Amino acid sequence: MNNLESLQFFIPELFLTAGLLVTIIVELLLKKEQKVFTAYLAATVLLITIFFLIRQYAIEPAALFGGMVVIDPMAVFFKILTAVSTLIIVFFSIPSFRVKAEYYVLLLATTLGMMLMAQVNDLLMIILAMELVGLVSYVLAGYRRSDPKSGEASLKYILFGAASTGIMAFGFSYIYGLTGQTNLFEIQQALQSTQHNPVILFVAFVLIIAGLGYKIAMVPFHFWLPDVYEGAPTPVTAFFSVGPKAAGMAVLIRFIISIVAGVSADGQTFTANAPIHAQELLAVLAVLTMTLGNLSALQQKNIKRMMAYSSIAHAGYMLMALAVFTSQSVEAVMFYLVVYMFMNFGAFWVIHRMTPHLGSEEITAYTGLGYRAPLVAVAMGVFMFSLTGLPPLAGFIGKFYLFAAVIKAEWYILAVLGVLNSVVSLYYYAYVTKVMFLNRGDDESAVSISSYDTALLLVFLIPTLVLGVYWVPVISWATQSLHFFLG
Amino acid sequence: MIQLNTFLIISAIVFSTGIFTILYKKNVIGILMGVELILNSVNLNFISFAKYSDAQINGQMIAIFIMILAAAEAAIALAIILNIYRDRAMVDVTLIDEMKN
Amino acid sequence: MASFYIALLFLAVGFLLVGLTVLFSRLLHPRINYPEKNLTYECGIIPEGESWIKFNSRFYVIALIFLIFDVEILFLFPWAVVFEELGLLAFVEMFIFIVILLVGLAYVWVKGDLDWIKPRPELAHLPKEKGK
Repeated sequence: MNNLESLQFFIPELFLTAGLLVTIIVELLLKKEQKVFTAYLAATVLLITIFFLIRQYAIEPAALFGGMVVIDPMAVFFKILTAVSTLIIVFFSIPSFRVKAEYYVLLLATTLGMMLMAQVNDLLMIILAMELVGLVSYVLAGYRRSDPKSGEASLKYILFGAASTGIMAFGFSYIYGLTGQTNLFEIQQALQSTQHNPVILFVAFVLIIAGLGYKIAMVPFHFWLPDVYEGAPTPVTAFFSVGPKAAGMAVLIRFIISIVAGVSADGQTFTANAPIHAQELLAVLAVLTMTLGNLSALQQKNIKRMMAYSSIAHAGYMLMALAVFTSQSVEAVMFYLVVYMFMNFGAFWVIHRMTPHLGSEEITAYTGLGYRAPLVAVAMGVFMFSLTGLPPLAGFIGKFYLFAAVIKAEWYILAVLGVLNSVVSLYYYAYVTKVMFLNRGDDESAVSISSYDTALLLVFLIPTLVLGVYWVPVISWATQSLHFFLG
Repeated sequence: MIQLNTFLIISAIVFSTGIFTILYKKNVIGILMGVELILNSVNLNFISFAKYSDAQINGQMIAIFIMILAAAEAAIALAIILNIYRDRAMVDVTLIDEMKN
Repeated sequence: MASFYIALLFLAVGFLLVGLTVLFSRLLHPRINYPEKNLTYECGIIPEGESWIKFNSRFYVIALIFLIFDVEILFLFPWAVVFEELGLLAFVEMFIFIVILLVGLAYVWVKGDLDWIKPRPELAHLPKEKGK
């Protein structure tokens, strides 16, 4: 489809871009005390964008802008997911970034990048979309300029990010050299029709996995993550843990269904394009990712750092399901991301609002919180057990689908290792709950929380509880979205 | 006439130099130079593939975009480094470690 | 191949000429050193201090802004070459592109990053002027 015809299928992105520019201009015109208005403006822009996105489900899968991007239900799913996560983060950030209007502009710019990542169909577009998300994230990580930790976080982020993007682009250049194409589906056809040197393909694959793996925090490209999560302002950390990770998963899925494997017309069977053992490599990396994440999380004293390693472990679980290459595993990952969004945001919200009261981010500071702020502590306990994957919480259902996909594909060892990891994770998640309820601290004064804090806490708590017993709508949403554009 | 392989070997050398620079330099500016080397090797690969394969212009187009990405990345990285330098008056990555457990 | 030999010859002659000039000046010039001669040449003004000084960070900010807007030219050159074939659509696309850049420029301008002389920041720890 040519550029002019494509525009009618690109309305959400166009609207978001326009909203972004308007927010910048409005920010310049407002006085300092009125600047909280830009937060509401950003939220409105995102809401209208989500409305436009939902209407995109009616569109037949097609390639836009000469094959640069595609539009299909899977892209729409990930676009809605990332836009909703940013919308929540806007409300998450209002208490701490009241007058920082640029912050909301940066959030909108990242959303645009994540929406593009969800629908990439060209090597150039992959690089551009990932860099759009990356470049803005580096600035967000260093947003508290007076805090040396924040500056250090953004420095580490940009050094790792820039290097891994470069390495990924080098891998792309070999793919381009082998096939002479940059469009993912034309590359797929070229790979299927002619036999290429598997060694070069394997090298290119490893280089590309380095770039994509950095985005979703896959071991051994995870070194940046703990420092960035600890140093960045907590709303930004929460944002990084869901939106960009979901977008990275979307790119990885696209990459798997087009370059690594071919998908049959009904979307059920995946056949590898070249004998490069991609599945085995991904499975090994997944096991390494979850094991290292869980074992390192055990030793953490800072709760934000513990959540950072836990997010590495969760990336490992999702990667484990992706490694088996079935449509069921893709569906499980999509469902898990929705669940993960609520429980992870909830945990970060508690950390974010409690840190000023408790005076530190150490886990020991949470001692006796169950007696000082019962609602917050109960909610935190629910989020922790849901992250572990205990029934009857949402995290259990999410993990159940992930493991079911792995077992159905008969990768039993992988599933066993995954379950063992979940058991290990129970220890550090339960430890937080234990210090909150079973121990009493020195300070027993009640912690007062505002109604805004409570309202947002319920926004995260209720889905975490409800999705544990009534998950059918979300899983059927994921099933409906499991419809790819296949060239 | 120079062969395609010559370009590929040169770009592989530039790429490895970039990786080594990133791994062994302690100064942040030095690491950024390594990143630029990697991106330039990517550009060289894309342009030489575009020249020697059958008239695909995509490679040259990607090279233009990567140049602009490199500039944007350098600008943001330098701004972040400047911010850190104001605090600490040094940019040695082995000494910037507030968060170690 | 013939053109390659010409290039080689050109290179050789180039090296030879530069080498000879340097050699002759070595042989001919008198060697007298005195402090003023070894000073850095700054248009006749006596230099003050080292050349390794800290520059005002404003130079860096301006340089960064220049870098961002400068590289966008790279998109304009290929566009200008094929502009006649593409017609009105390409014009509109590039117009939108420039408008987005202009928003960025306006932002930088209003935020005061283009002003060479900035108002003195009001820091809490500085003593206030008397009578205020």
